[in-house]
Amino acid sequence: MVMRVVALAGNPNVGKTTIFNDLTGMRQHVGNWPGVTVEKKEGVFEHKGERFLVVDLPGTYSLTAHSIDELVARNFLLNGNPDVVVNVVDATAVLRNLYLTMEIFEMGLKNIIIALNKVDLAEKKGIRIDPVKMSKALGVPVVPLNAKEGAGLDELKDKIWEMAHGKIKTNPVLPRYDPEVEREIEHISKCLEGTELAKRYPLRWLAIKLLQRDDEAMKLVLRHLGEDKLKEIMTHIGEAEARYGRAMDLIIASQKYEFIDGLTHEFMGHGKVKETLTDQLDKILVHPVYGFIVMAFVFYLVFKLVFTFGFPLQGILDDAFGRLGEWVAPHIANEALRGLVVDGIISGVGSVLSFFPLVFLLFLALSFLEDIGYMARVAVLMEGILRKFGLPGKAIIPLILGLGCNVPAVMATRTLDKEKDRLVAMFVNPFIPCSARLSVISFLVGTFFGGNALVALAIYLLAFAVALLSAKLVSRFVPGEESPFVIELPEFLLPSWKSLILHSWERSKEFVQKAGTVILVGSIIIWYLSNYPVPIGTGNSYAEKLGHLLEPYLRLMGLDWKAGVSLIFGIIAKENVISTYSILYGGLSGDALKEAMMSSMTPLQGFVLAVVTTLYIPCIATIGAIRAESNWKWALAVTVYMITVASIVGIFIWQVGTALGL
Amino acid sequence: MNMIVPLLSLAPNERGVVVDLMGGSNFRSRLYAMGLAPGAVVKVLGNYPRGPLIVEVSGTRIALGRGMAARVLVRKL
Repeated sequence: MVMRVVALAGNPNVGKTTIFNDLTGMRQHVGNWPGVTVEKKEGVFEHKGERFLVVDLPGTYSLTAHSIDELVARNFLLNGNPDVVVNVVDATAVLRNLYLTMEIFEMGLKNIIIALNKVDLAEKKGIRIDPVKMSKALGVPVVPLNAKEGAGLDELKDKIWEMAHGKIKTNPVLPRYDPEVEREIEHISKCLEGTELAKRYPLRWLAIKLLQRDDEAMKLVLRHLGEDKLKEIMTHIGEAEARYGRAMDLIIASQKYEFIDGLTHEFMGHGKVKETLTDQLDKILVHPVYGFIVMAFVFYLVFKLVFTFGFPLQGILDDAFGRLGEWVAPHIANEALRGLVVDGIISGVGSVLSFFPLVFLLFLALSFLEDIGYMARVAVLMEGILRKFGLPGKAIIPLILGLGCNVPAVMATRTLDKEKDRLVAMFVNPFIPCSARLSVISFLVGTFFGGNALVALAIYLLAFAVALLSAKLVSRFVPGEESPFVIELPEFLLPSWKSLILHSWERSKEFVQKAGTVILVGSIIIWYLSNYPVPIGTGNSYAEKLGHLLEPYLRLMGLDWKAGVSLIFGIIAKENVISTYSILYGGLSGDALKEAMMSSMTPLQGFVLAVVTTLYIPCIATIGAIRAESNWKWALAVTVYMITVASIVGIFIWQVGTALGL
Repeated sequence: MNMIVPLLSLAPNERGVVVDLMGGSNFRSRLYAMGLAPGAVVKVLGNYPRGPLIVEVSGTRIALGRGMAARVLVRKL
């Protein structure tokens, strides 16, 4: 039997995701809406022996054609034929939440249930809502919920079941506008009557959208009824606006709110408004001085959590796969096959899975900050600074995380709301020196500059400067308009752990699936280069030959073939740059390796090597992550761009340095 | 005398009624959806130099860029 479809709609920050998780539990699937990078979550729940498919629509404040999230939600409501729409409404902000509700009602949908969430919080704020009266005023069932405790969930399921079986009659109230506006709506509806569009869309909705000059509605008229009809309607609207002296959408919006305000008087009362904890916290958290101090501390904690727990776990998994390799090796007689399985496949899969704890912890920390409401404060604090470089305020989070590891940092760009912002932020992230590069930088600075921290700092500053300037450059070429900065600062609310863990688990799983192939293939290629036709160290492996091939180019920045080989291996993991040198110097390590390198390279060459290692390419896992979060082309573009930038910077430093006689 | 001024010029704890939004349709529709439609009462919570303006409107807190706040006209209460 075909499952009945339940759509979950609502504003951001209303607890929609928690309700989704409470309804569906582990039986959910995260993917993308077809053709766009908007996350689509679907899940299944069972009630009274029947299975329902729940589709979690993107959280939106309205259903205009201006943002892809809103279009996705709107198109699903219009064309997805949901059997029941559950509209989650935040009891602490009913007026604004009902704006979306009215838009949904105006679409002509009938099977709607209002899930009134955060009722307890509203009471604390002195807001009293009578659900029975609210239901009467709106003409649809209202189920009060406390998503955090799961209260009211059974009643919601009952209502969904009843509605899906046609046992509930609804009569959604439609906003009424001033007589003049109503006349315009009627006039346009008449123009569309009897046409192709009238069969497919509710006329009142279409008329209102046209009055608001909605792009998609205009396209519909153009496509189905032709240019003349569209012109006729738009001319009419233009005349009406000239009479009013202001845009029609402005009039409609303000009258819609008036109508909602009138409705709320029937079921909502205000007690004394008390200052909440959030009000007090916000005096500190978005303050231009204290806010930054708190932010630095919060980031420090996230960093600590992700990396102090993540790295040891990564090490344990790495070791486990190493041991698995050792255990498997003796069982494979064929030497080439053994190499492929042990050094290529097992270590490749191992390195994919070893990122799992890091990515999981990162998502846990970020989801926590997002759900508790802190992320919005960060966006406010950093907006002024980062916007100058074409990035939104929230992009500070991936930038900081990049210092630990760029893989989770690239994944963290998901928290940015606009596709354009995500693309730019993940493009520049690999420039941020991760902890693997820290080991290379500190080794080289230790070798050539006696461990002078200022030299290391200079490299870090250079890397950040390159990242920010690149963001400024790239943001000009990525399509998508700069969105006006306006965000909600939600009430602070402890998130539900179940929801957090589910969410992080799904995200991490997705990472392993998507980035996994890239990392695996990369590992096999590098294994092949270093073992064929003869093992590395003999001077005749493909890796070394490649190094020699690159030498004329590297000479421009004062580096030799050894650097070439090392940089190739660095693609797998940046810390390999030093261990490759160790192999090329016949297995020297520690102080012996330092001495050997010092005797064959000048400090300037050492500096160039450190800078180039920092900038030259995303490691294979980061490339995999970028591909997972965007597409192949973008991952390739980042790679080519970084190689170019590293070459320019490397050549510049070497040429200027030698000219200055350094 | 109730003056019509940009929202940006309000100091913390001052209130105003939105009378007009001076911007393109994308700008306007984003703001209505967040509750900033003509007729709405807005209270400024924070107005720090260079940072976004923080306001309370219809029971919710929102932050909006200074450029945007300059284009929201309010009648001071």
